[in-house]
Amino acid sequence: MRTLILTVLLACAGTSAGYGQRSSDSDAGSKIIALENLWKQAAQLKDLKALDELLDDAFVYVGPDGKMLTKADVLADVQAFRGLQVLSQSMVVHFHGDAAVITGIYQTKGVDHGKQFVRRSRFVDTWRYKNGVWKSIASLTTPIGS
Amino acid sequence: MKPSLLQAPRKRANHRRTAWLWLSLVCATSLSPGQEAVEGDATATIRTLEHEWVEGQSSNDNRALDLIFDNALVYVEYGKLITKGEYLSRVRAVESNPSQIVMEGITVRTFGDTAIAVGTYHEKSGSGSKAHLNRWRFVDTWVYKQGRWMLVAAAAAPSSK
Repeated sequence: MRTLILTVLLACAGTSAGYGQRSSDSDAGSKIIALENLWKQAAQLKDLKALDELLDDAFVYVGPDGKMLTKADVLADVQAFRGLQVLSQSMVVHFHGDAAVITGIYQTKGVDHGKQFVRRSRFVDTWRYKNGVWKSIASLTTPIGS
Repeated sequence: MKPSLLQAPRKRANHRRTAWLWLSLVCATSLSPGQEAVEGDATATIRTLEHEWVEGQSSNDNRALDLIFDNALVYVEYGKLITKGEYLSRVRAVESNPSQIVMEGITVRTFGDTAIAVGTYHEKSGSGSKAHLNRWRFVDTWVYKQGRWMLVAAAAAPSSK
């Protein structure tokens, strides 16, 4: 049920073709922030379908340990986490044509392969608007104070 | 990428190198107006620009860096967010520092007028017996605007082999 709600939210937030044309930067900025929040919710709920819609097939992720993951790796990784809680703060969006760069801070708690963790990290994500849809094409998370 | 502004060894005035760097930057960043970024060219150009960035930073060439960096650049250094202005001020404030940063590999993916460069580099910090190497993996975002590729975002995470 929660997955269904998330899918509906995704459509409303503008990942589907229904979003059409990008309006003002402030509207688009709100969309990108909404999509970031949905991404975190999808990860917490292990909603692979929603994540698949949010991430471009060529998506690349670099985690706080410096490891590089592809989209397939990220989807597999999400399933390994237990009780993942993500809180995003201080998000700022910059637009460059059909690209958007968003920066912010994550507070993450969870269990990764049986080991409990709490992390505070800064992220930089890049989104691209194509065929009426925003998709994330790259993401990096680095520990604050690294 | 390349957060090696904290170290400050000897200053070296190398005008010839700076002039060469400038010339290659102009060639690397400029295409005729209206011309679209072609994928193969874009990849090669961005690789060149990544190396020019290291060169520009190592030789404190703020003019070269100003050409590479978009005014809205977001740069994450040791987990801290800094602007283009702050970055350039830092470069001005420290002495030149060649060979502290060594690029390892770079992969570039293009998405129309946006490109993502992912790679690793290592930087040397300290000196003598206290010298040690830090390895980083970076993700840089480049956007093709006004006939050239500009760096709009850059960040790195500490990486072990």
